[in-house]
Amino acid sequence: MRPLNYAILKHLESVPFASPTDVIEALKGEYGSFKALRFEGVRESLMTAEQNGLLEEDHYDLDDQENLHIYYRVTDYGRSMIDKYIK
Amino acid sequence: MATNLAKQKYDLQKASFFRKGVAIALSSGICFGTYSAFLTLGMERGVWADWYGPASALSAFVVTYVLSAVGSAVNDTLSGIWFLILSAARGKLADVGRTFRTKPGLVMIICALIGGPLASTAYVVGLQTAGSLAATVAALNSAIGAILGRLLFKQTLNLRMVVGIIVCFGSAIILGGTTFDGEFGGSTLLGLFMGFLAALGWGIEGCVAGFGTSVIDSQVGVTIRQCTSGLANLIILVPLLCLVAGNIGLAPELLGQAFTTDAIIFFVIAALPAGLSYMLWYRGTAMCGAALGMTCNGAYAFWVPLFCWILLGLICGEPGWALTPVQWAAAFMMFFGIFLIAMNPLDLLKKKEA
Repeated sequence: MRPLNYAILKHLESVPFASPTDVIEALKGEYGSFKALRFEGVRESLMTAEQNGLLEEDHYDLDDQENLHIYYRVTDYGRSMIDKYIK
Repeated sequence: MATNLAKQKYDLQKASFFRKGVAIALSSGICFGTYSAFLTLGMERGVWADWYGPASALSAFVVTYVLSAVGSAVNDTLSGIWFLILSAARGKLADVGRTFRTKPGLVMIICALIGGPLASTAYVVGLQTAGSLAATVAALNSAIGAILGRLLFKQTLNLRMVVGIIVCFGSAIILGGTTFDGEFGGSTLLGLFMGFLAALGWGIEGCVAGFGTSVIDSQVGVTIRQCTSGLANLIILVPLLCLVAGNIGLAPELLGQAFTTDAIIFFVIAALPAGLSYMLWYRGTAMCGAALGMTCNGAYAFWVPLFCWILLGLICGEPGWALTPVQWAAAFMMFFGIFLIAMNPLDLLKKKEA
């Protein structure tokens, strides 16, 4: 089992794009008991990875309840860093 | 309409993330000030008062070099214990163990060794040989971190940010109360070199560990940092310095007394904000980039004397801790420098005109 933050980045690498809600949904099977697998925490992880060039925004939209969802995808640089550092 | 609302919410979230990053990076300096004040208080009480007192049985070398390392060893070890407990409470203890065995975990360990035992010792040796000039040179760590962030991670570093860093560096010089008597001997050069090594160590730590926090959870990262630094100080640095002092048996004796003195309570208190300051430093730097994150943290040059004045001067009634008007002015100058790195002042004028 990988640390949660690693799993978040690995998941992003395996899909074309994902929002924080998508990440939580995808990881809740294995990491559901983790207190850190919450919307705020995952959103901040993704925004921090974006700030450091690992991810970039794909698009954003609103759901039926007018909640904002930003979708991220891995950059080429991010993919090389993730492959190099996270097994 | 829906598109407009989405854009508004999007802009709001972006601005909120940026503000949070700046607040976190500034808080790291405040925690550093709090920890320094309690550590200074602890190192004046109990067995430390005997060690540093006029009737001290310890040699000048031990008092000058070994005791600082003992203080760091006790502080970082206790801080590591605090963060192991906090990680357990927040369900992250297993992630600490898992991260230890990975490449980013190894990078964090190397950063801890560079910024912990190596840079801290260089800083103390610098202070002892070149006085506050070494502290001034060590304040270059923000600038070094920003340059490394540009070179290693392609982060933004434009002319406005460079000017802001220079303003912050200038105010750190004033806050450090730099005085120079004009005698520039070999020991001063050694001290300046040591101060630069400290700046380099902290610059590397802030920049690399800050970037590492985009991969590793910041609390997990700082738990690794403090445990590594504490153990390296305890097991390697203090015995090594005692060996240089000619008595390796002194290491367990000094450490044993440092952990059992009444003053340990101040170290226990100091160790929590110490770990928090590193955690917020890494997290803030990851959220804002090395240039802004490290200069926000660098405001500790103001927070340290401020909190020492509050705790030691106002609460404990010790004389000599009051801040001078020049130091207050330098603090304002430093915050202007941080503001300059964070944003273009002309943007504010443009918004008003709009």
